[in-house]
Amino acid sequence: MNRYPEFKKDMKTLETEDARDGIRRRQFLEILASSFTAMSLSGCGFRPPKEKIIPYLEQPEDVLPGVAQGYASTCGCCPAACGMLVKCRDGRPIKLEGNPQHPLSHGGLCARGHAGLLDLYDSERLRGPLAHGLPSSWPLVDAEILRQLAGIREQNGPIRILSRTVTSPTLRQAIAEFSRVFPTTRHVTSDPVSSSAILEAHRRTHGERALPGYRFERAKVIVSFDADFLGTWISPVEFTRGWAQGRRLGLERSTVSWHVQCEARQSLTGGNADLRIPIRPSDLLAAVLDLGSRVARRLRFESGEKLLASGEPSAIPPETLDRIAERLVDHLGRSLVVSGSNDLDVQLAVNFINHLLNNYGNTLDLSQPSLQQEGNDEAWDALVSDMEEAKVSALILLDANPAYEHPRREAFRRGLAKVRLTLSLAPRKDETASLVGFVCPDHHFLESWGDAHPHLGVYSTAQPAVAPLFNTRAATESLLTWSGIPSTAYDFLRKYWRENLFPRQKRWEDFEAFWDNALHEGVTLIEEERLKPAAFNLQAMADLRPIRPPVAAGELELVVHPGIPLGDGRQANNPWLQELPDPITKVTWGNVASLSAASARSLGVVEGRIVEIAAGDRAVRLPVHIQPGMPPNVVAIALGYGRWAAGKIAANEPIRKMLPIERESPGGEDLYPFLGTPSVRITPTGQMAALAKTQTYDYQAPPGNGRPRPLAREATPEQAVPEAGPQPPGHSEDPAEGPALWPAHEYPGHRWAMAIDLNACTGCSACVVACQAENNIPVVGKAEIRKKRDMHWIRIDRYYSGSESNPEENPSVSFQPLLCQHCENAPCETVCPVLATLHSSEGLNMQVYNRCVGTRYCANNCPYKTRRFNWFDYAHNDLLQNLALNPDVTVRTRGIMEKCSFCAQRIAEAKARARSEGRRVVDGEVQPACVQSCPSAALVFGDIRDPRSRVARAATSGRAYALLSEVGTKPSITYLARVRDRGV
Amino acid sequence: MRPSLEISSLWMAFQLAGWSSPASLGAAESPASMESAGPAAEHQPLSAFQQQAALFHQKCARCHTVGRGDRVGPDLRGVTRRRDKEWLVGLILDPETVLESDPVARDLMKQFNGVRMENAGLTRSQAESLLEYIQTASEGPADEDGEPPEAAEEKLHTRISGPDEGFGTPALGLAGLGFLLVLSAFLWRSAGRPAALTVLVLAAGDAYWTLGGHRYHRLPGNHQGYQPVQPILFSHALHAGKLEISCLYCHHGAEKGPVAGVPAVQLCMNCHNVVKKPADAQKPSKELEKLLAVWEARKDAAPRSIEWVRVHRLPDFVFFDHQVHVQNRVQCQECHGPVETMERLRQASDLSMGWCVNCHRHRGGRPPTHWKRAEATLDCTACHL
Repeated sequence: MNRYPEFKKDMKTLETEDARDGIRRRQFLEILASSFTAMSLSGCGFRPPKEKIIPYLEQPEDVLPGVAQGYASTCGCCPAACGMLVKCRDGRPIKLEGNPQHPLSHGGLCARGHAGLLDLYDSERLRGPLAHGLPSSWPLVDAEILRQLAGIREQNGPIRILSRTVTSPTLRQAIAEFSRVFPTTRHVTSDPVSSSAILEAHRRTHGERALPGYRFERAKVIVSFDADFLGTWISPVEFTRGWAQGRRLGLERSTVSWHVQCEARQSLTGGNADLRIPIRPSDLLAAVLDLGSRVARRLRFESGEKLLASGEPSAIPPETLDRIAERLVDHLGRSLVVSGSNDLDVQLAVNFINHLLNNYGNTLDLSQPSLQQEGNDEAWDALVSDMEEAKVSALILLDANPAYEHPRREAFRRGLAKVRLTLSLAPRKDETASLVGFVCPDHHFLESWGDAHPHLGVYSTAQPAVAPLFNTRAATESLLTWSGIPSTAYDFLRKYWRENLFPRQKRWEDFEAFWDNALHEGVTLIEEERLKPAAFNLQAMADLRPIRPPVAAGELELVVHPGIPLGDGRQANNPWLQELPDPITKVTWGNVASLSAASARSLGVVEGRIVEIAAGDRAVRLPVHIQPGMPPNVVAIALGYGRWAAGKIAANEPIRKMLPIERESPGGEDLYPFLGTPSVRITPTGQMAALAKTQTYDYQAPPGNGRPRPLAREATPEQAVPEAGPQPPGHSEDPAEGPALWPAHEYPGHRWAMAIDLNACTGCSACVVACQAENNIPVVGKAEIRKKRDMHWIRIDRYYSGSESNPEENPSVSFQPLLCQHCENAPCETVCPVLATLHSSEGLNMQVYNRCVGTRYCANNCPYKTRRFNWFDYAHNDLLQNLALNPDVTVRTRGIMEKCSFCAQRIAEAKARARSEGRRVVDGEVQPACVQSCPSAALVFGDIRDPRSRVARAATSGRAYALLSEVGTKPSITYLARVRDRGV
Repeated sequence: MRPSLEISSLWMAFQLAGWSSPASLGAAESPASMESAGPAAEHQPLSAFQQQAALFHQKCARCHTVGRGDRVGPDLRGVTRRRDKEWLVGLILDPETVLESDPVARDLMKQFNGVRMENAGLTRSQAESLLEYIQTASEGPADEDGEPPEAAEEKLHTRISGPDEGFGTPALGLAGLGFLLVLSAFLWRSAGRPAALTVLVLAAGDAYWTLGGHRYHRLPGNHQGYQPVQPILFSHALHAGKLEISCLYCHHGAEKGPVAGVPAVQLCMNCHNVVKKPADAQKPSKELEKLLAVWEARKDAAPRSIEWVRVHRLPDFVFFDHQVHVQNRVQCQECHGPVETMERLRQASDLSMGWCVNCHRHRGGRPPTHWKRAEATLDCTACHL
């Protein structure tokens, strides 16, 4: 210190200054310390905060504080209308789960469905009706709307109701009632991501404008042309269930379906396929026709072959197509060809192939079609033209946001200005609702009575789980009020069921019993008159137009697709979904321009470079993401982002209070104007963006150096047969059992364990959101994700592994759900200085928040990187959103480590229930949130000490392995290797 | 949660600094699980009579006694001799119908202030075993528990521990004292007086704490003795003590779920529909009037319930389940103290973690004989979820 005399001088000044103030620093500390000691030891006046207990006046039946109730209902997040159980505590929903009784969704619920809970508690929903943008009241709004409607009726002015697919028969009935009172009404249905071409193709080939029921569980060979049926296409939960059922490997079964995916981007479904063939969108039709003609040739159906012959060479090698055709023909009536394209020609060709393969009536059900997508693109186009020509007097937007979710939205906006009466029933002031005259907000689906009719013969009910939070009104009630037959949604629903559904069944003689059962079960099967599709009309195939205009030089083909987290964007203001990593790109809080490495090289861009994507006068700027498996010269971008009127979350406002130097970077961009655009120009800009990715290591076998680590293991079908030797590749790496450093644990009662079947897991990420809802996991925001501070307790790791030639060209993709492994020799337990993480007598690795002091030693020592640290007090300051918190789980504060608890609260609940019924916990009774949510039942939980439990049996499978077993942690989680049949 | 959390971290640091309580190291041992079920693991197998007694306690004792006088309903001593067995079974299984149709039952109801007998949802065999129990209990002395009277007496008041438990053993404190004294003597010679005096002060503090000081002080967050004034001066001494209304009659949530709950006003009115004034008074007491006023106003546009002041409160990171404890026959008084003697409810125990863990491992002697299991889980996840 002698070397720094200035410093010494400063110290002196400081001390004298202290002395001048009359109290010295040291004295101050002494007083502080002694007063603190005195305070803590003296038991002085620490009175508890005065908290009130306000009991019911009259206790409702079956409602007990602290005990959850479940109500069967129907998910309203998309028209797939999956069955759902709403878990309510103390009068409010806290968790959504799939309804195991539902014949389509079978207990699964997708990530977006789980997140629907948070939409209910969105404080940016409208709190009452709006008239010309200003808050109003229902009587005033109704009076004004009725006055204008009456005027329009007198002049015979056309009225249009615009909606997405309406699955509720009661709402359809209400529309019909409205149309009776206002006879000039027409209902136009338009879906943001349309399946119109499938419906139209069936009208031409089978005489019925219908969407067939796809039965993936019956198919032995599945060929999909760009249909992301496990991720976003039509009814992903239902299809995932069917697909997984056809691939389930039991001890008794070793043959699984063979799944080929030809696609223009790396999709979730492609990642799960046995054989994946990247093709450009412009090659799609030629490939479908080529396959069709080869199938026809094998079936010796020459006229068919001629019909399909395109004369254009397809991009897929002929020997590969031959192999696929051979397998298809070997499985007549047990195969399925689907396409997600909205191109009529593609869909006609697909129908023809399915007809040739005798799939109609077997794997494709046209007699009991799906009603989940009814959008009609032609009707929409006609509506927009009518509006532009001022031929529409009133437009009622029932459940639609066309000012955002349509490529022709500028035309719609122009037309809207020419409509006399515009009103929206949107629950928020969204892009369209901010343009209309009146907004009459609808309830959230958890607040209202309703029903759904997803397939012919399947009816489900929806019941309110909470009283409406705001001054909103059910859409049915609004329509009925304007029709002059005011009725509550409940009465109208009952009336509809009494008059239309009750007479069509025979099981119940009394309507009340029928109704009670329908509500209790949530789903009712009713025999309905089936469709009788006409024989296949070969004439429809006559005018296929296989020749496509070539893509202009210097342009890239564009694929715009709904993303896994946000879908079509209707839930964009949902923080759980915004923070959900896309299972393929692993990007959160926005979309990216996915390019193949070759395309990126030729454009001279690297990952993170912001590029301008332009077509005509439209342009957006997005960062580049290098995506293995993309076909060359194609760029793929997800829809649903970039909403400007959905709310703060959609606009990517910061989650927590940020320092002045910090800034939240913008979220994704809106790609709807590009929907249907075949190609775009891409110009690099000078800017870079750091992507908010949750996984940055992509390869299990890093190219170049590094020993491959078989984390997500795969086997061929031969290796997977248990009798034929139970060693999937990678097992040889395991070291022999060495001496343990610590004494073994004793398990006097249960020992909880999990098995994860990688062969069934599709990576859909439903478990991630389910876990977040169950365990009060905070959302951290984009800036924090960039710092690798994501909080999800369960994550889906995605690995690419090499194809023979170039892994980046078409790698095979593996998904691996990773959560705390609850190791028997847990490395985290030994390093905690305050004993905040301990081993329980039932094999759980417990994290005790109130002991944790936040050293983070445990996270450093965890080889699986499943521990999460609260760097801040994240969010939880939105009081309304806090209603979604699970009261059975502690809300963690800053400085606390947290991680998967195997849903210890659910274990405790199941044990208490079993005890009160005087029995042991039965296998399958304890279901952690992730296990419950899994649409493909890939996760199994139970007591591994019970040799008959499913988890114990899974652990003896030939495909079983422990992750990083060479570390010697002895995890409680068993992974079952994936079986992939490359068909070589 | 934050203040409590900080306090607990402080507490943790304190413990690690020397007041190491075995409670905090609990999970390092291998505890027996609650679930190691099967009759062998049970603490004491129940006789048929005890099982019948348990059923009686659960279902009937809210209103009836055997040989201890009339309560809400009549004393059942000797009822099996007075009445026909079928009549009794019929009344137990379907009181609604019998009270409507049977004149004897109707008279009884009138005699007992018109309080209707509840349907307990029993099966026929359960009803018959109840009658067996009443018959046996009527013949013996007036002891309805099937337990020796002194055990029943003992069980209520033995388990209420003071704040000192779980705070380290005196031996540990004394050892620490010895160490500090030696250290002080050493420092006196080697390092000089200030350091030695500091250590001496610490030693004095240790001595004070170990030799009795801990009885008079408590840590923040310990609200033992908290006895707030309630909006209605409800007397547990009258209801639970003098009238012997079972705890579970009002706090029925305790046997069905985690929260015991404060009864709905409707439940108060089950009796107070009839009981409108104290037995020795002409008109309702002031407190009873408050209750009646709340009930009368229930159909108002904005009805208000009673805003009781919460007495027992655990930190937000602690999840206590009443049901599990009630089912294992832990008596309410073991945690809540002699509530039946309290005019105004008081927090009798300190509700600290050490106090919980003391019972879970029944430190210091035999476990009480009335518990269903001798050992409870010591897993952290038993309470911290």
